[in-house]
Amino acid sequence: MEVYEVFRRAGHKEPFEHCGAVIAPDSDMALLMAKECFLRRREGNHIWVARRSDIHSFEDESLLEIAADKSYRFAEAYRGVVDKREKARRRAQEIASS
Amino acid sequence: MTYEEKLARFTDKVNGGDKVETTDWMPDDYRNGVLKFIEMHANSEIMGALPERECLPAAPSLKRKMSLCAKIQDEVGHAQLLYRVAEDLGKSRDAMYYDLVTGKSKFHNVFHYPVKHWGDVAIIGWLIDGAALVTQAALLDSSYAPYTRVLKRICAEEQLHLRHGEDITLELASGTDAQREMFQEALGRWWLAIIHFFGPRSNVDKDLLLRWKVKTRTNEDLRQEFLDRYVPKVLELGFQFPTPVPFHDEATGHWLINEDDIDWGPLDAIKKNQGPETARRLSTRLEMYEGHRWVREAMAEPSIAAA
Amino acid sequence: MSDSLVPLVLSLADDELVLGHRHSEWTGYAPHIEEDVAFSSIAQDEIGHATALYQLVGELTGDDPDHLALGREPDDYRNATICERPNGDWAFTLARHWLYDHADSVRLESLEGSSNQELAALVHKIRREERYHLIHAEAWVKRVAHGPVEGRTKLIDAMAAAWAEIGGIFEEIDGEEKAVYQGELPTPTAELHRTFQERTIAALDELGLPTEIHSRADEQAEFVASSSGDLIAGRESPNGEQTDPLSGRGGRRGKHSGDFDQLWETMTGQYRAHPGARW
Repeated sequence: MEVYEVFRRAGHKEPFEHCGAVIAPDSDMALLMAKECFLRRREGNHIWVARRSDIHSFEDESLLEIAADKSYRFAEAYRGVVDKREKARRRAQEIASS
Repeated sequence: MTYEEKLARFTDKVNGGDKVETTDWMPDDYRNGVLKFIEMHANSEIMGALPERECLPAAPSLKRKMSLCAKIQDEVGHAQLLYRVAEDLGKSRDAMYYDLVTGKSKFHNVFHYPVKHWGDVAIIGWLIDGAALVTQAALLDSSYAPYTRVLKRICAEEQLHLRHGEDITLELASGTDAQREMFQEALGRWWLAIIHFFGPRSNVDKDLLLRWKVKTRTNEDLRQEFLDRYVPKVLELGFQFPTPVPFHDEATGHWLINEDDIDWGPLDAIKKNQGPETARRLSTRLEMYEGHRWVREAMAEPSIAAA
Repeated sequence: MSDSLVPLVLSLADDELVLGHRHSEWTGYAPHIEEDVAFSSIAQDEIGHATALYQLVGELTGDDPDHLALGREPDDYRNATICERPNGDWAFTLARHWLYDHADSVRLESLEGSSNQELAALVHKIRREERYHLIHAEAWVKRVAHGPVEGRTKLIDAMAAAWAEIGGIFEEIDGEEKAVYQGELPTPTAELHRTFQERTIAALDELGLPTEIHSRADEQAEFVASSSGDLIAGRESPNGEQTDPLSGRGGRRGKHSGDFDQLWETMTGQYRAHPGARW
């Protein structure tokens, strides 16, 4: 018997999401178990199972933190765009009227 | 089930707005059409990294050096997502990459042109990414589901790029005369290519991708959305368009261009991979590709245990 | 404020900027797509660290970080020669990445204990990312070192070439004596260099890479240093350039290779052409 992690997806446009795990002798049985345990109220249209032992993760997940300033990767860094638009418009008007 | 029955069922499914997954049955025309389309999109992302990459070493501030680097990184990340989706349709990434670098396949017209200065970064980041976003957002409802899932993320990142590009544009527009001239000069060089980007009018009867709902809108429809959205923004910053000059149509409220003014010659050359920078950019890539076979071999080795 | 802190922080900042610049040249070109993305983050990290370090210098001198990064004359830059060398192929990039991040981690370990609180705090932050850089470099070097012969051979040659200049990272810094005395630099560079050599020689050994990578370069350096004692007198390098006999040194005194001049033109040209402009 092995632990199978279960993933389900609501629709074609959504990503699969982890929703739990079952203990099963093989993947066919794991799918049957997962269907009733996790999709009996139409929580999704698609289901995956994967052996837990086939899933890998970092031993030290602090590696995933973004340590230094990476604000430029986020939309908030460009909030000033509204004010800058105003400033650029005024500059254009000055040029047009001079 | 006969092939005809399968085809009829598939057509009904797609026409009914249902989505196609990699493991579903699909006609060869569909598979090949989708593969070619996504392959070209992936090629364009990886080739699209190059013009901006050529501007990166001269980025005029630390912040821009990092943000432009991050933006190009995102484009390469898009190529990664798209090649992965295309691969599942039956052609390996290596084969796609080889076809690209040897000039056997295609990539978007705008990435065949040279760059000169920071004004190019503004045009690419704002207007070209703006054009790309119009076309990509229209694909979010494509019938091929794996494509729509990666497009979701791609479009979200393109939104950010658009902000980044507009931010750069606005600094130039409100900057010194020389900075304004950078944008104006680049606009003059790029405008026709941006118009070409959307392609000639679609032939709705012949376009298989439209019929299979892989694409959902025509080229002219997308170009119109782009013009309506961006032309007024450029004009209010006091910049001038070259031919084909957009004009405002009072009756419809749209920004139009006279289609007879479009010189399609440069696009025809690019379709044959004979754009101004095609050979140079492809040969650089080919050289890199051939000189680094050993990297691919090292990556292909199975698990390497500690010695 | 201390006049010995500025050259110390500038040498760190310039190393990170110049190497970050070189690393960023791979963005869009790397020989592997996932690695292109990964290596680009490392480039951004390095430029980000440079930015934070220039800000620290700016607090001491009143200079604008962009001006420090892009507005100085070539001989004002204090980066080590190894950082300015062109990327060459992926093997050289990888070898330099591995050696540099080992060197960086040795000096940052020490600087985290700096008597200057601001520098110590910043180094603490930087080390979190540098730890990942080292894991990244290690994974690649290990894969190539134990992989097919072509890659392994290229790596060995590249490692020897990079080793010959990596010592420049530990060249004495202007005002070092004072910086050490004041605890701003808790460990003298010569001692950091020894730690670096012990660590990397053991690591190369563990990777099963030949000792020729380091033994030949070190013998040469020792020979020249002990026989003449004059570190300025040049030796002809393969491309005809006059380099320091303790190869890779000079950067901390603003003496750079021709490669730096080209890099400097490209990197600073647009900034310098538009004084006072906002971007």
